[in-house]
Amino acid sequence: MKKQASALAIATLMAVGAIGVSACGSNNKSSSSSGSAGSGGGKAKKGGSIRIGSVLPDSYDPVLLQTNQGNQALQLVYTGLVTYKHVEGPGGSELIPGLAEALPTISADRKTYTFKLRPNLKYSDGSPVKASDFEHTIKRLQFLGGPFSSFSSVIKGVTEYQKAKKADADISGITSDDATGEIKVELTEPNGSFLYAIALVSGAPTPAAKSPFKRSTPPGVGPYTIDIKNPTREFVLNKTPGFNIPGIAKGNIDTITVVKETVTKMTQDVIDGKLDFMTEDPTGDLLPEVKTKYPNRFRMDPNPPNTYWFFMNETTKPFDKKEVRQAVNYAIDSRALQRIFGGRLEPSCNFLPPSYARIGYKKIDPCPYGDPAGPPNLAKARELVDKSGYKGMNVTVWGNTKDPRPAIVEYLRDTLNQIGFKAKTKVIEQQVYFGIIGTKKTGAQIGFTDWYQDFPHPADFFEPNLSAKALASTPTFNFQFKSNPKLDEALKKLGPEADPATVADQWAALDRTVVEDANVAVYGNELTTSFFSDRMNFDCAGVHVVYKNDWSLFCLK
Amino acid sequence: MAIEPASELASAVPEAIVAEGGRTRVAGLAPWRIALRRLRRNRVALAFGALFLVIVAMCLAAPIYASQIAHTDPFKNHLTDQITIDGVKKDVVAPSGVPIGPTYSGRFFLGADGNGRDIAVRLLYGGRTSLTIGIGAALMSTLLSIVAGTLAGFYRGRVDAVITQILNLIWSFPPVLLGIALGTALALGGLKIGPLELDGDSKLIPSIIIAIVTVPYTARPLRGQVLALREKEFVEAARAQGAGSLRIMFSEILPNLSSTLVVFFPLMVASAIGFEAALSFLGAGVRPPNPSWGTMIADGVERIITGPHLAIVPGVMLVLSLLGLNVFGDGVRDAFDPRAKVRVRRS
Repeated sequence: MKKQASALAIATLMAVGAIGVSACGSNNKSSSSSGSAGSGGGKAKKGGSIRIGSVLPDSYDPVLLQTNQGNQALQLVYTGLVTYKHVEGPGGSELIPGLAEALPTISADRKTYTFKLRPNLKYSDGSPVKASDFEHTIKRLQFLGGPFSSFSSVIKGVTEYQKAKKADADISGITSDDATGEIKVELTEPNGSFLYAIALVSGAPTPAAKSPFKRSTPPGVGPYTIDIKNPTREFVLNKTPGFNIPGIAKGNIDTITVVKETVTKMTQDVIDGKLDFMTEDPTGDLLPEVKTKYPNRFRMDPNPPNTYWFFMNETTKPFDKKEVRQAVNYAIDSRALQRIFGGRLEPSCNFLPPSYARIGYKKIDPCPYGDPAGPPNLAKARELVDKSGYKGMNVTVWGNTKDPRPAIVEYLRDTLNQIGFKAKTKVIEQQVYFGIIGTKKTGAQIGFTDWYQDFPHPADFFEPNLSAKALASTPTFNFQFKSNPKLDEALKKLGPEADPATVADQWAALDRTVVEDANVAVYGNELTTSFFSDRMNFDCAGVHVVYKNDWSLFCLK
Repeated sequence: MAIEPASELASAVPEAIVAEGGRTRVAGLAPWRIALRRLRRNRVALAFGALFLVIVAMCLAAPIYASQIAHTDPFKNHLTDQITIDGVKKDVVAPSGVPIGPTYSGRFFLGADGNGRDIAVRLLYGGRTSLTIGIGAALMSTLLSIVAGTLAGFYRGRVDAVITQILNLIWSFPPVLLGIALGTALALGGLKIGPLELDGDSKLIPSIIIAIVTVPYTARPLRGQVLALREKEFVEAARAQGAGSLRIMFSEILPNLSSTLVVFFPLMVASAIGFEAALSFLGAGVRPPNPSWGTMIADGVERIITGPHLAIVPGVMLVLSLLGLNVFGDGVRDAFDPRAKVRVRRS
């Protein structure tokens, strides 16, 4: 999932891992709030309606969405067999039963997961939830080539299903009994991140009869239902009457209206009380104003863990050559990008975020391309470009319209020109950006990208963004359109481990490999913001390690 | 042969009666000279015309200013640079992301934008872009209008019907919306028509879009004039002498349209510059990182609180340019008004 960045709360997020710890309290670096957590029940005021400003989801289809904006909204509408605990802090990474009665029984060889559906579950349209709907969901995910399809490709029979290219072909590894509600999933090999993956929105069952093999918005099971007024302007989330799944927050707010606005306008609207929350981070000169004038309703957090980098298409010139990719790494000045982020960027050259210290992050020191917090080495970069033979080549830098991406790609354009290329920018609408650059036919050479964790596991960073498996889906997040064989080999070895902390050193070594081989040009991790209107209860900020903000925890004063 | 309106001859200057070798000859003033004389007397129009020329001169001098005074170019990012002002070192862009304000010195005279680019340099280069596109669009529009209006008015019948319907079709779209739709579409894919291939970033694209969208506003009045002119006796006389249609259009019709075009042109340029700024402001005109007054205003709006000059300065330049052109254009129109009398100096 494409999301936001963090830095100082390493100690707090040490507990993040396969088994989370329920906790209360804010864990951010520079929050201005006293911080609180909890499910939003008890003291939280119930009822009311709020308006949220957003750049809107890239898709309203749970198997096709890619962005954090989509995840934040649709996780309230679609619940998986398992899901994430709805609490603030590191406890939010803990898996809890969703539509399943309990966490699955896992066989001794860690290849077979057995779930049992809760009885009498109904979708938002009143139709019953069937065990066979889960297989249908995985088929849709694979058939439509959803961005997260690579996570479920470890299920036995998925490869054959993909080859058959028939929507109604069978996935042999998934068997279900609608009468008993039992679902059995067999994997081709043990995979430590599988359960985390199906806890995402893309793994949430939807009714087979109403989930066609094309882009759609089928009914789901969740504390809210979605009413799309205009897919590019507005949608509304209404509380589901009678929703009652133990452990899943029912939501305090009755109606959440989400509207599309520019980042500048939505910031001003939150200040003025016309909006109650915004999914984006205030930019421009509004950020300093918000920080200083509204500390009682503004906070910054390192959640969800994230990384920002420039992708480089290794199948097109000039980035098919390692020297050029290394040149980009030498030329990037994270201090400059820090300014573009309004000070909310922590320079880094690691691919994994610092909050993964327990499960694989180890600061690469010294960084192979120089201190990320220091000046760039343009001379070395120019030397490498000269050596590559690609000096003077035309390069297009891709970015999207969401602030401050245009400024970021403008900076990269200027930097590439300084090291010997003839660069220009191409900025397109944020909602379609990742889909366009994730299609190989586009031929995007270099551009902006980022990643926010979907689930607390290093595979979540490596697999969708850099692996060969990720190339099976279209569009893909592997904008390099190539994978590093050392990475694929490492993923094969480390993936089955149930607890990444036990192989943290090996994940750290993989992190170093990816950086040294210049498969990416990392520049830092972002601090995300939560900015509320005056009528919102700041104790219900709902900062979540997976969803950034869990709207089901929001409440009014 | 162009025929001067009778009223001009009626008020011809007596001093134009010339004695030549014993014979007297009445030498009237050409309408152009009369118009020029009127214009020279309109000091307000001249002043605003001069204002526009000063702005043009400043923009033309942009490369000199950039290299000799500001020591940068309009595209260079100075995010982590520092400059010394009154002995104090200051960040061009602070770590908080706030860019430096006006220094009123050689470098960053009007301050920097969010990417650390020199505003004054971008302002002048942006003017070049805006003026080039505006004037280019006005020229293209004029040319297209002359062709469309003359053909429609001269041939009438089916030709007129087809051309008029095309003009009506374009006119039926709100011009800004049409401009945005075309600008956005062409910016993504570029323009490919036969041998003509333009990249999405080309400045010709906004020029072509503005030209197409504004053609009806000039072509229709020209068509009306041509319809009237083709019935004049001099056209009949030319036809009687065996002149073909093309010859008649070039030698009889077009010269009589020239005064109309001279009046229209400055106003068209002003309109085109304003249109370009609107399209660029809305993201459908000039593509980044090329500066234009419209894109600079759009970028400046983001920092209207800490850096109001970022939006205000290009806005002021735009207003002054349009004002200069419009007032000068009004003066030209008044100068060509045949109902005005020339005041003659009597000895």
